[in-house]
Amino acid sequence: MSLQIQTCMARVWQRLALRWQRERFDRELAEEIESHRLLKEAANGRAGLDPDEARDLSRRQMGNITIAQEECREMWSFVQLERLLQDLRFAVRMFARNPGFTAIAVLSLSIGIGGNAAMFSLVDKLLVQPLPYLEPDRLVRLTGIYPRAAVPFFQQQSRTMDVAAVSMGSDYNLTGRGEAIRIFGSAISANLFPVLGTPAARGRSFKPGEDQPGRDSVVILSDALWKAKFGGDSAIIGHVITLNGMDREIVGIMPAGFSYPSSKVEAWVPLRLDPSNFLEYWGGEFVPLVSRVRPGATIEQAAGEVRREVAQFKQTFPYPMARDWNADSTAIPLQQDLVGDIRGKLMILLASVGVVLLIACANIASLLLSRATTRRKEIALRVALGAGRFRIVRQLLTESVLLALAGGGLGCLVGMGALSVFKSVLPVSTPGLAQAAIDWQVVGTVAVVALFTGLAFGLAPALCASQIDISGSIKTGSQRATTSGWTRLRSGLIGAEVALTLVLVVSAGLLIRSLYSLNEAHPGFQPERVLTVRISPNQSLCKERGACIALYQRLVDRARGLAGVADAAVANAVPLDGYRPTVPVDVEGHPKTVDNPAPLLWASAISPGYLDMLRIPLLTGRKLTEADSELSAGVLLISAATARHFWPGESAIGKHIRITGEEKWRTVVGVVGDVRQYSLSQGLPSFVPGAMYMPYAQSAREDGQVSAAMTLLVKSRVDSARMTHEIRRLAEEQNPDVPVGQVQPLEEVVTGSISNFRSTIWVFLSFAGAAILLAAIGIYGLVSYWVTQRTFEIGMRVALGARRQRIIGMILGQGLRVALFGIAVGVVAAVAVTRFLASLLYGIVATDPLTFAAVTALVFGVALTATAIPALRAARIDPVTSLRMD
Amino acid sequence: MGKKPSPAELFPGTLDMLVLRTLVSGRMHGYGIALRLQQISDDVLQVGESSLYPALQRLLLNGWVNAEWGASENNRRARYYTLTASGRKQLAAEREGFNRMIGAIQKVLDMA
Repeated sequence: MSLQIQTCMARVWQRLALRWQRERFDRELAEEIESHRLLKEAANGRAGLDPDEARDLSRRQMGNITIAQEECREMWSFVQLERLLQDLRFAVRMFARNPGFTAIAVLSLSIGIGGNAAMFSLVDKLLVQPLPYLEPDRLVRLTGIYPRAAVPFFQQQSRTMDVAAVSMGSDYNLTGRGEAIRIFGSAISANLFPVLGTPAARGRSFKPGEDQPGRDSVVILSDALWKAKFGGDSAIIGHVITLNGMDREIVGIMPAGFSYPSSKVEAWVPLRLDPSNFLEYWGGEFVPLVSRVRPGATIEQAAGEVRREVAQFKQTFPYPMARDWNADSTAIPLQQDLVGDIRGKLMILLASVGVVLLIACANIASLLLSRATTRRKEIALRVALGAGRFRIVRQLLTESVLLALAGGGLGCLVGMGALSVFKSVLPVSTPGLAQAAIDWQVVGTVAVVALFTGLAFGLAPALCASQIDISGSIKTGSQRATTSGWTRLRSGLIGAEVALTLVLVVSAGLLIRSLYSLNEAHPGFQPERVLTVRISPNQSLCKERGACIALYQRLVDRARGLAGVADAAVANAVPLDGYRPTVPVDVEGHPKTVDNPAPLLWASAISPGYLDMLRIPLLTGRKLTEADSELSAGVLLISAATARHFWPGESAIGKHIRITGEEKWRTVVGVVGDVRQYSLSQGLPSFVPGAMYMPYAQSAREDGQVSAAMTLLVKSRVDSARMTHEIRRLAEEQNPDVPVGQVQPLEEVVTGSISNFRSTIWVFLSFAGAAILLAAIGIYGLVSYWVTQRTFEIGMRVALGARRQRIIGMILGQGLRVALFGIAVGVVAAVAVTRFLASLLYGIVATDPLTFAAVTALVFGVALTATAIPALRAARIDPVTSLRMD
Repeated sequence: MGKKPSPAELFPGTLDMLVLRTLVSGRMHGYGIALRLQQISDDVLQVGESSLYPALQRLLLNGWVNAEWGASENNRRARYYTLTASGRKQLAAEREGFNRMIGAIQKVLDMA
């Protein structure tokens, strides 16, 4: 026993010791064997042979001593490791000798792998990882929208849930601490943070009852705002800041990384629950409800309870509600609610990126297959020198895995770039989006993906190459011999690649056509040379209507006085800027019923010059004028859509509309063209039938006041950066406590409204571009390979009188057969797949024939070009050279 | 040259034992060992160099033989192998095992 251990130790020690003396070992073994041979030679000499014969015989007698040397070496070294290093060295040499091939392979892989790394990190953070709240699987969202009155109702009635409310948030002016800034805040019920299970990092959460009027002058800051505005000073707790003119005490700071309901939120204030404020309590802003299911209850039970209680709650409304109000309300897991909108988009991106990786793999497999064939002679030689089949396969697999790992390394870099692009495609406020990054977990996954892709695309070529008839290959030295099965596999790969490419290019094509339609779609106004700037005083400024009206009248007058200004106007919102000034209205002749509750209209408050400045056409009636003042009779203009909706086939002039809750009716004096206010593709939200325009002096929000936050519009005669500066200065001069936004050309606002869409297209375009490039390389490689394989045959044909055109036709036909097969499969696949894109498209159907035709032509054209180059080369084959070659 | 028994036709491990046995009489280089095996076995055992040298390496690695450089008959450097103490023990153990195996095989062949 001890002997065995001793022996074992001795072995390990000797291996270790000799591991570092490889060269000496090799030299000594070679010397020992040579000395052996010389003794043999001498013996042969003594047996009577002449010196030359003696030497030759001794050499033959030694047999295949190389194998013996190899065997000895293996005994001394850590063979597996040695072989791996040897394989790696060899692979690196191969790559260095074929830089073009290596670059194409590594680049295409890095595109595929990088895209996947980025998508993986997104999917992981957004869909897989649990929400960063306590026991997130017990959190649910009550679907439907509810007035504030629903909050205490559900809190008291529910047996299965603790119910909290949260508003999606709005802008607040933060003043009293240096320069006035605009922050994004959310009003929440006092129990929201306990329901989410996240305590404040510093200070405290809201106390029960702090959502009651009179006790609600408190605020909790986000970690980001606390650090940016207050320098991360803990002493700030207990201090008072002014939000929208209301003093609030800072009671707590939330932990870094906490975000709800969106990552845009910088501060939380209590959601005031005041039954005496009728409009705010029953109407006004509708709040989403979020709940934690109590221990022992299930989400199904909670959903059942929601359905019952919504019906009960509807009875408590002080006025009749629509019959179908919140009829399909239920409780859904919070995670599903948060990622619901982007899940589809994410899945489309994930699928596209996967397809690009597939194409890259198919391409590299095909490249390797052809290289494996051109390396037949080399491989045959190695087999002849004693390399086993397994050894050859392993060598080739080492090469492909090395390629894949290099691709993976570069892919991580590509992934970082891709991730930032993908992030720009998704809504900024998506929870978890900011945390998505290429971290070690992703790098690890990339490594595994790379390893598997390497094995996947390397296996077939390696097996193909190892099936070699040694003597045939070495004797002819020709590269013609091939196994037809592998060639068919290769054609199949390229065909599949073409099909996948077609699907991607069709998707990109459909999106581009949508973008084109969007750009062509007339938005109903002309944004050229109009600059906008948002001015947002506290609403309290407008308690005195006259103050606000005078402020903006002054601003418009002074702006008109600037040199180079053609006109100036104000509006509570400009088209496509993201504000949604909707109000519920009563319409003359359309009494509210259970089935027809108060309709919402897009309520623009404008100064008289606004419509002319944006070239919004007057269809009938008269324009608004300066005479439509605070004191004169209430008038408004409506959009053509509003007129069509309420008074189809009759004149709308002289009809009456009033804002719900108001006493006096306003008279329609004119109809103007429709404007795409909300989005370029939709025009207005689906629940808003049309728009109305009130003179700012007569305008009213739901609370009866004029809007304090307005946008100043200035039409300049000249494009000038100086103008931007002057307008901002003009706005700031009015009141240092009034936050002034950035001056932005209206054209930028318009393009900005579809920037998500543009970047989606950009992503698809880059996918499609990568795919088409890879496919072109794939086809080119395949056809070139065929031409090389058939050089002899083509030479023979030419020698026998075949015309060049016939040779070209033959090669073209062979290549295009594969391409056409791929195109046919691709068209079918695209028809099946593009319907998933339907939600992103505008103005065309997912099976738009023109797009399909154009893309098919494009892909065919690329395939034709990629085939034609090697085909023309085939036609130039000189029969004399090609026949002599072997 | 006669039919050359390939190493595969020897029992596995037998070559190592034969080499060890050859070295009992004193130090010897590779050529000498091959020659001795051939002579003693009346040309039946012609050990190819391609199996002899791996066998010698195996023995070295196990510490059953030592190797040192010395001058050969034709005044060239040659590596001479000597048996170590553990090599002797190993030879004894292998011989015993081999004898037992041969005995057993013989019994089977001799059965009535």
